[in-house]
Amino acid sequence: MFIRLVADSFSRRPRHKLLTGAALALGMAVATAALSVSLDVGDRLAREFRSLGANLLVTAQADSLPLEIGGVDYRPVNAGAYLPESDLGKLKTIFWRNNIVGFAPAVEAPVDAWTKSSQTHLTPAVAAHATLIGTWVGHVVSVPDGSTYVTGIEKTNPWWQVDGRWFKDGAQECVVGKSFAARSGVKIGSALKIKTPKENLSLFVTGILSGGASEDDAIVAPIAIAQEIAGKPGEYRRLYISALTKPEDEFGRRDPNTLAPADYERWYCTPYISSIALQIKQVLPGADVRVIRRVADGEGAILTRVRSLLWLVTFASLLAAALAVGASSAASVIERRTEIGLMKALGAGSGTVGFLLAAEQLLLALVGGALGYSLGILLARLVGQKIFGVAPAFSFLVLGVIIGLAAVVTLLGSAIPLRRASRFEPAPILRGE
Amino acid sequence: MPDRKMFWRIIRRLLAANRGRLFVILLALGAGAAITAALLNLQVDAKRRLTTEFRAFGPNVVIVPKDSSLSTSGTLPESAARSVPIHLPTGSVTLSSALYVIATVSVAPSGKPVSAVIRGSSPFAVVSVLLRSSSTAAANSGEANQPAENACVVGVRVAQQLNAQQNTQLVLANGKRHESCHVVSFQKTGGPEDDQITIDLRAAQRLVGLPDRISVIELRVPGAPSAIETLIADLERRIPEANVRPVRQFTEGEAKIYNRISRILSYTVVLVLVLTALCVMAAMTNVAMERRNDVGLMKAIGGATRRVLRLFLAEAALLGLTGGILGAAVGILLSMWLGKAVFGIAARPRLIVYPVAVALTIIVAIAGAFPLRRLANIRPAAVFRGET
Repeated sequence: MFIRLVADSFSRRPRHKLLTGAALALGMAVATAALSVSLDVGDRLAREFRSLGANLLVTAQADSLPLEIGGVDYRPVNAGAYLPESDLGKLKTIFWRNNIVGFAPAVEAPVDAWTKSSQTHLTPAVAAHATLIGTWVGHVVSVPDGSTYVTGIEKTNPWWQVDGRWFKDGAQECVVGKSFAARSGVKIGSALKIKTPKENLSLFVTGILSGGASEDDAIVAPIAIAQEIAGKPGEYRRLYISALTKPEDEFGRRDPNTLAPADYERWYCTPYISSIALQIKQVLPGADVRVIRRVADGEGAILTRVRSLLWLVTFASLLAAALAVGASSAASVIERRTEIGLMKALGAGSGTVGFLLAAEQLLLALVGGALGYSLGILLARLVGQKIFGVAPAFSFLVLGVIIGLAAVVTLLGSAIPLRRASRFEPAPILRGE
Repeated sequence: MPDRKMFWRIIRRLLAANRGRLFVILLALGAGAAITAALLNLQVDAKRRLTTEFRAFGPNVVIVPKDSSLSTSGTLPESAARSVPIHLPTGSVTLSSALYVIATVSVAPSGKPVSAVIRGSSPFAVVSVLLRSSSTAAANSGEANQPAENACVVGVRVAQQLNAQQNTQLVLANGKRHESCHVVSFQKTGGPEDDQITIDLRAAQRLVGLPDRISVIELRVPGAPSAIETLIADLERRIPEANVRPVRQFTEGEAKIYNRISRILSYTVVLVLVLTALCVMAAMTNVAMERRNDVGLMKAIGGATRRVLRLFLAEAALLGLTGGILGAAVGILLSMWLGKAVFGIAARPRLIVYPVAVALTIIVAIAGAFPLRRLANIRPAAVFRGET
């Protein structure tokens, strides 16, 4: 009888049920879409922020003070300490190795450069004094666990644009900064001569670099060339690392030395920039790992803000959906006063009536919630594709939350009219008063 | 005009007939209006705040002398800074001029000398902005705000090399010229500032003997990427002797990230608004459909379909207006509070949002009641017989 009553209620008044169901499904679709997008957005945005480049800088602990003005180091090449390049594979062995999206070592050396047309560097027609930055581009690093990893300056400084192409790792090639190119008349395809302690080198220019800072006035070449000029084979002066991190919260800012062992474990196993810095320091002996605060903190601040903003929007949409759905189910209960009166007149207790109506509403919530969920997932995919080119990951959490929310909202929405309905005196209702 | 009087009387009765129902509809409409107003208001404000937030990355535009290259580190006249427009429509530009000097630094009276870069900065208090994010330095920023005579802020790595403490006297020497200063605070940024000593611009100019010269002007320009580009083009015209360039690392990354974030916001807001409207509409339709009996009765006593329909649409519009006025007001208050929760500053209420939200609510309410049109082909007799 119970099931028959419920089934009848659905088949007799399909339009009413359809409308309540539609309100439910739409509300839950908003909730699902907003929830999926905001669950996913943190990770996606963190990756976007890597377009700001390196957030960790490694120098030798024993290094002297760099005399850097406007990005150019005025120290002589033999001053200060260097670090061995061969250690760098170990970076991909730390706990958060998959969070390291790129790294590149750099060696800088002042050089005299000239093109073929000016015969010798003593005739200063096109001769120019410049910094030669030696680094990696598409370099294959062998990791101690036997695998290899490809990285280079294009990952740590993604805003560097090369007109032409990057030099090949290990080749006698280079790219030149755009101001340098303008100053010395070097073009793509020219051969650039470089004076070195041993013999003069000839580098094939493969591209013009524009980066917006001192590199526009420099020559960028494979690291081996710079190492040879500086007389430091197999060593680098600074290393840029770009890592995906979790914004530092109150806990992340605490001094790890003062943490209790359990807290320390938690700190160490969270991708805070400071814990990644510590792990890098542990694999690179003699290195001083510094967090580039400007990048790391700016990123953290914005990520936190955007995240809370989206959570708010999500919360707002959940609230709106809940209210609309609640109102809809409340209305559907109110209009059934006559029916309730009749049932009570026939001897049904308030409990039975309430149970019957609640079962109907729950069934509706389940169907509407499931429909809304599928619709919301489609929407979330659409939005995710449009913005990031990647659909948000599927999450059972969202499904659970949505179905639960749909049930709670419909029940709450119908609870107040149901309570009033259970107090109805059947007689006046049946008389139509 | 008994006709109009009757019209309003019916509407009044329709609304007052069932308070529970009235409350439910107003709740749905009000919630929709509140969400609409809050999101619209917050969205505009959030985008503006984000561009301000991006300034945490430091200067995004630098002005350097045109002939600045490795061999000749030129300087600019200090007056160049005055040609920078401070007030932009998007906010005000923060400006700092600096002169860089390489000097020998030693702890007075007789410490081991170390070569370091000295940054003469004007205004000197700008240092505290640089320090803002670093937690260790945050405590010191209060002192950096009051630039005392002969004060200097020392990068952590320089401090380490010199073994300098708070209030240590330092002697900066460049050839025969020298200046002395005492350490007021330390800065740790992970950038080149860690290897520098910051002093007042005047002191740095005295140290090199270049009065009224600076080597760089750093600007923090608020606003969207396009606004920054416009300013750069404008500055290049105003200061012909200088090279104005964006700090590409930040301007480019920012542009990308800003676009992404503002798109996410717009998409979510539009999505939420559309679906909220649909939700409210569905709820509204549900409520309107139960008016079958009323329509049947009115038609039976001679009401023209158009008139009956007008009556119900007027009721819906009235409900929409009330729900909208109440809901939008709540929504704007809500967005101010939300703005405070997210950005620490209450979102500025935008008056245009209010009428827009109210209008949208009325439209949604009327659209929701529109299925009543179908009631036009109800046959009164069927209603009276109790057929459904």
